[in-house]
Amino acid sequence: MTLSTPILWVILPLFISLITGIFYRRRILGMILTCTTGFGLGALAAFFPEDLVISIGPLTLNFVENLSILGRQININYQILPFVAFIYFSTGLWAVGSIRPSVPESFRPTSLVITALLTAALGVEPFLYAALFIEGAILFSVPMLSPLLSKTHPGILRFICLQTLALPFILLAGWLLSGVETLPPDSPLIVQTMIILGLGIGLWLAVFPFHSWVPMVSEKAHPLPVSFVLFIFPTVITLFSLNFLDRYTFLRTSQGLYQSLRSIGTLMIVLGGLWTAYQDDIKRAFGFSALSETGFLLLAIGLADQGGLSLLLMLFPAHAVSFWLWGFTLSLIETRADSRSIEVLHGFAQRYPIISSGLLVAQLSIAGLPLFATFPVKIALFSEAFAVRSGLGVWIFVGSLGLFFFSVRLLINLVTPNTEQAITSWVLTEKANVYLPILLTILAVIIMGLFPNAILTNITTILTAFGQLQ
Amino acid sequence: MASLSTLAFLMIVITAMVILIFRDWRINTAALTLQYLAVFYLVTLSWPIGLAIVKLIVGWMATAAIGLTCLRQMDDSPPTESTSSLFFRALAGLMIILVMFVISSTLQDTVFPNVDLVIIRSGLMLVGMALMQLGTNASPYLIIMSLLSFMAGFELIHAALERSTLLTGLMASVNLGLALVGVYFIMKSNDRDELQKEEEGK
Repeated sequence: MTLSTPILWVILPLFISLITGIFYRRRILGMILTCTTGFGLGALAAFFPEDLVISIGPLTLNFVENLSILGRQININYQILPFVAFIYFSTGLWAVGSIRPSVPESFRPTSLVITALLTAALGVEPFLYAALFIEGAILFSVPMLSPLLSKTHPGILRFICLQTLALPFILLAGWLLSGVETLPPDSPLIVQTMIILGLGIGLWLAVFPFHSWVPMVSEKAHPLPVSFVLFIFPTVITLFSLNFLDRYTFLRTSQGLYQSLRSIGTLMIVLGGLWTAYQDDIKRAFGFSALSETGFLLLAIGLADQGGLSLLLMLFPAHAVSFWLWGFTLSLIETRADSRSIEVLHGFAQRYPIISSGLLVAQLSIAGLPLFATFPVKIALFSEAFAVRSGLGVWIFVGSLGLFFFSVRLLINLVTPNTEQAITSWVLTEKANVYLPILLTILAVIIMGLFPNAILTNITTILTAFGQLQ
Repeated sequence: MASLSTLAFLMIVITAMVILIFRDWRINTAALTLQYLAVFYLVTLSWPIGLAIVKLIVGWMATAAIGLTCLRQMDDSPPTESTSSLFFRALAGLMIILVMFVISSTLQDTVFPNVDLVIIRSGLMLVGMALMQLGTNASPYLIIMSLLSFMAGFELIHAALERSTLLTGLMASVNLGLALVGVYFIMKSNDRDELQKEEEGK
């Protein structure tokens, strides 16, 4: 029996999300289906045999790597499977968090649709058609970011506008790229193509000045879907962007491009960090921190010649656990605290020590504190940036300092006793279904930070999918 | 042929201006319907009618979805606006027309040498007006209409550059998806208002 890998990692999850969508009110069923699909397809991708043959008793399943649709193909080849495994595992992880009643009901089915569409985007040929799959994923993320009975906030409209505006730029850049390959390097058309491509990817990644929707959506929407969106889109889009470097020599060899990426990345780190530093709303602070992390992704690509691409891939799992922890703990805080203002959280750590620890670890991990998940990657990026140009290093340090400053403010406010409260001593009020996921994720954050070579380097095998970038 | 192209171009300019200036959903829906007709004609200059008609059908479906939802959900009374705001938007629209006229010839010379000037001008008019609209209002249905206009403008130019069945299909899905998002926004604001009224009544 012959099957194709896109059926397994694109069509099947779409079908399951349809079932989950039909029974969207049944939270447990939805969670089980989404978790099983996420973790199941993730595990299958992680342990898929290289010869693409699976034998179960007398049944032998032969897989082919492509699926033809209307004369075009979707290829999910063996080299990209570690990344597919990673995004499906992440989807499963977020589905676990969706057990909380406050999470929008549409989150479970749409998260699976988004992952399936983004997987298709990674494999579609010609690869520029990926822009349309990504746009589809963006449209599907609307119901979970702005549920039916909530007010339509301006942030979600801005999100739709800016993300949709990226589509024409990418398609136009694709058309231009096919023509400029044969042109001399000093042709003005090459610079124009790079600008159009940069605008498209910049709009997608919410690069300054297209970032305004991030804090707005982060402030108004539920933290778990927000953390999912802010994790999965930049991750997949960054990997998708590597296709451009892999396929077009003039882009790969352009030192100006790498220099621009380093500068834009640093600008994002600085702005994200400084904006985070003085935020009072913890949800908005998360949005700005996410912008800072996008800066690190761009910086890593900009440092490609210094081994930045491996560091970029190593950042993905560190982001996944940190963002999940942020989203999960914030959703718990939102239902327990009187306000989202950092000033009103006095005494919260005394009443909810595990949730508070989770939030702090997530924030400190994103800030790059030693021993936590992002530290090994960020210190390597920092060193490389400093070696390339000391000015870059200084600015990255300033940006990171902003994230640390907010973490310290958060810590002080969480542990400062609230004199108006009856409870003044430390008590453990969280139940097992709350503290177990948090403690396990904190453990994962620490293990990633302590053993980066054992945990994070596995994902760098994805680079084999990009023949010219290894 | 040339006169029909000019007519389609004029229709695009007028409908884009109407969508930019007025806030009444009935007028805007009618303008969007005519706009897709004009876009369809201009796409037939690059594509066979069989493929180009997909753009017309999808565009009309999207418009119908938004229009019918507005019919069910929105107030019957047309929005009242001061003459100065109408005048301001008309002036902004005229400025866009001027800018697009100036840059279209340059764009044809430098980037799209094989594309008819009327196609470039029409596409740019739609893109420019839609961007102006997106920048000047925060009403969900107008934003979605502007995005549909923006996409129509882009598709018009892109159709002259590339022909692919899958791309047409995916673009159709994106347009319908945008329309559905628009329907979702219109419905949800109304459902929420009703819920609030019920709660206040209790």
